[in-house]
Amino acid sequence: MNAPVVSTRGLGKVLGEKPVLRGISIDVEPGSVVGLLGKNGAGKTSLLEVLLGFSPATSGTASVFGADSFSMPADVKRRIGFVPQQDELLELLTGAEQLALNASLHPHWDRALIDRLVRDWEVPLDRRIQVLSGGERQKLATLLALGHAPDLLVLDEPAASLDPIARRRLLREILDIAESPTRTVLFSTHIVADLERVANQVWILREGAIVWQGDLDALKESVVRVTITAREPLPAALGIEHVLSQRLEDRRAQLVVTGWHDALPAALEDRFGAEVAVEHLSLEEIFLEMHA
Amino acid sequence: MENATTPSPRLFTLVPSSGTPIYRQLMDQVRRLIASGQLVPGAELPSVREVAEEYTVNPTTISKAYGLLELEGLLQRHRGKPMTIAPLRRNHQALAQRLRQVEAQVDSLVLAARQLDLPVADLTRFIEQKMGDSQ
Repeated sequence: MNAPVVSTRGLGKVLGEKPVLRGISIDVEPGSVVGLLGKNGAGKTSLLEVLLGFSPATSGTASVFGADSFSMPADVKRRIGFVPQQDELLELLTGAEQLALNASLHPHWDRALIDRLVRDWEVPLDRRIQVLSGGERQKLATLLALGHAPDLLVLDEPAASLDPIARRRLLREILDIAESPTRTVLFSTHIVADLERVANQVWILREGAIVWQGDLDALKESVVRVTITAREPLPAALGIEHVLSQRLEDRRAQLVVTGWHDALPAALEDRFGAEVAVEHLSLEEIFLEMHA
Repeated sequence: MENATTPSPRLFTLVPSSGTPIYRQLMDQVRRLIASGQLVPGAELPSVREVAEEYTVNPTTISKAYGLLELEGLLQRHRGKPMTIAPLRRNHQALAQRLRQVEAQVDSLVLAARQLDLPVADLTRFIEQKMGDSQ
């Protein structure tokens, strides 16, 4: 197995009295596209900021390319591209000036890539940044993070102020990076549809803790809605494990369970003399069930 | 064999927001297109990249589907060329299913062979000899 690009163990953070991150242990394999999903205030931004060393953890460890997040040497930082939720563009510069400034800081700036993206994404370069729209600023900030061809690209809500066309173009660029077996993308979002397209790994964050981490396909395969229809009234305790939610009405029960396997319907049919219907859920439904 | 043409990636209908993972959708559709004769033996499949770009989905999910279909014997991989639909053999799927039934035994055999440091060639010869004996 390759050394993980990002690794944390028991990571926690407390702001004032409030725990914002709790016991997070994760590994990101090189070449993966990880989507970080959570509702507002779940701790997505806090997690990314601790991973990148912008703010210290209260407990546990975090590392990127093997280096401690909070004391990353410059050569590790250079391998990272970050698009923050609140961009740090220089208001008085034009887009062209901002791009030139960033290019001058990186010896391996990919001018051809940036020129192409400026055209494809229709990024205005001749106006001062302070007059750009939210979407235009977001595009420009993303270009700045792509120009030095980072091995790890981290995006915090990258599509929040992009229109559907711009969003699709951004996803294409992420997928371009995903084609490399060594380059890794980590992005937070609340747009579930984007995550389903480009991510192959998903982390679901709830109240500062990871409630799911792993393969997106495996998540969809393991979470199902089971409807049991029996001839007799069903017992209140069905004795089924890993239940996310349950609705019981006399002879009919509807449950959402994790840890699904093919042997389960037959087992349930035997146990309750019932008809069992199984339905797979979209990521959005799974996410909602996890917050039910 | 019919003259093979490269199908467009639009041959498939992939719905990322479905509860069925994308790779499963693709596998089911390839199977159905073969069953219905829309994909004939020798027909080329669109590349992983073409499909991933057409639907803006992660290429690993597409290559996972192609890889699993290859394992099932439905697709053939060619160096530097598009994958093709494998020649139809009536016992194709049956063979894959039968092989899967001895998978656990093969796994334990492989484990034992590794521990004993047995060369693959010798082990293969041994299996061939045993299977010949019992015929």
